[in-house]
Amino acid sequence: MRLELEAKSFGPRQVLGPLTLSVARGERLAILGPSGIGKSTLLRILAGLDAGYRGQLDSADRLAVVFQEPVLLPWRDAIANIAIPTGRDAATARDWLAQVGLAGHETKFPRQLSLGQQRRLALARAFAAGPDILLMDEPFASLDAGTAARMLALTDALLDRSGAGLVLVTHDPAEAAALKAHALHLTGDPARLQKD
Amino acid sequence: MTEAPKPPSLRPGLVPGVLSILAMLLVWTLASQLTDRPQTLPAPWEVAARIMRLGASGELWFNAGMTLFRVVASFALAMAAGMALGLWMGRSRGADQWLNPGLIILLNVPALVVIVLCYIWIGLNETAAILAVALNKIPVVTVMIREGTRALRPDLDDMARAFRMRPWARLRHVVLPQLAPHVAASARAGISLIWKIVLVVEFLGRSNGVGFKIHLLFSSFDVEGVLAWALAFVAVMLAIDLILLRPWESRANRWRQDAA
Repeated sequence: MRLELEAKSFGPRQVLGPLTLSVARGERLAILGPSGIGKSTLLRILAGLDAGYRGQLDSADRLAVVFQEPVLLPWRDAIANIAIPTGRDAATARDWLAQVGLAGHETKFPRQLSLGQQRRLALARAFAAGPDILLMDEPFASLDAGTAARMLALTDALLDRSGAGLVLVTHDPAEAAALKAHALHLTGDPARLQKD
Repeated sequence: MTEAPKPPSLRPGLVPGVLSILAMLLVWTLASQLTDRPQTLPAPWEVAARIMRLGASGELWFNAGMTLFRVVASFALAMAAGMALGLWMGRSRGADQWLNPGLIILLNVPALVVIVLCYIWIGLNETAAILAVALNKIPVVTVMIREGTRALRPDLDDMARAFRMRPWARLRHVVLPQLAPHVAASARAGISLIWKIVLVVEFLGRSNGVGFKIHLLFSSFDVEGVLAWALAFVAVMLAIDLILLRPWESRANRWRQDAA
């Protein structure tokens, strides 16, 4: 997928300046920068959730998003939380739950899972969609160090296995390094992308 | 799920509920005995005996059945139309701005006016009766569903769009579960409002149903008969609430209750 952005504004304030970004299957990108710089806005544009910008987005790829919060359906159990959004059958959903280490939690509702488990469920949902490119928005924030490290290792393994590309938005360069992602910095006002 | 099995939802409040009904019966009995005018205020057992006779003759079941049919038909129509309008107005600012004046007018037109106009314009038939009741209820459902739609979670909306969920799946699995408490509240408020309006509709322009019977009894000032029909139908509506609405509500809210 390829984004050629000219400008993105909220009201009179321009948040993102001209920038070009492209990523393909197997490629891993990390967009780094302090909070409030516009990282999440950039990711929402890539995900097709924000169409209010000037520029062009070419994307024939299947996308899947892992949001900052798990964003699960509280009224559906773990299996349905994978099966319903992705359109997969229950057996596939069960398989993905096992791959993220949630075997035995199939019929639990999100509220019955810990935050770490909810995030793994959100990760399983994203991979179950069979994406060419995975978009992740600060998915390891607010996890304790041990859980975050296990999530990073799991994400790395699943990316290797599926061959999917990655765009990771984070404020932590260590996460980018752990996922062997090529780091780009978002700086300035309006923000632009800068290579390392 | 880990503790003892939760008690059935009917149990809490059962004892005070039964006691309060008994207390009301006691007050009624005392009043009827003190006034000692059976034409104006008959004793509870006289009304009960009348209900028995109506039931035995089959008259009760036919007329209560007709009234129930009208309640169900206009309820279904009002919920369907109200939910569609409420969802649309809650989602689209333009639709809200265009439809809101009409909604406010309809909310404030007296039920009686809508009924009379429906009978005059459409005719003294079943269509007019059911439409008149539904028109009285649609704006109330619309307002409640619109408020619920405005409070839908944007993050779940983003998730559904990001995963390209189909409109039907989105409505069924993302939107309707969030609206369930509003739907239940408007159904609960609606069903009791609707049967009261159905009685007026029958009183004015139908030749069967509980409202028609009350019309006949009113012309002969038969209080015992009026109370018998009214109480018999209240019992039917209470049974519907207990047997249908409550179990559905607790099923729809199951995911809230059994958190770990």
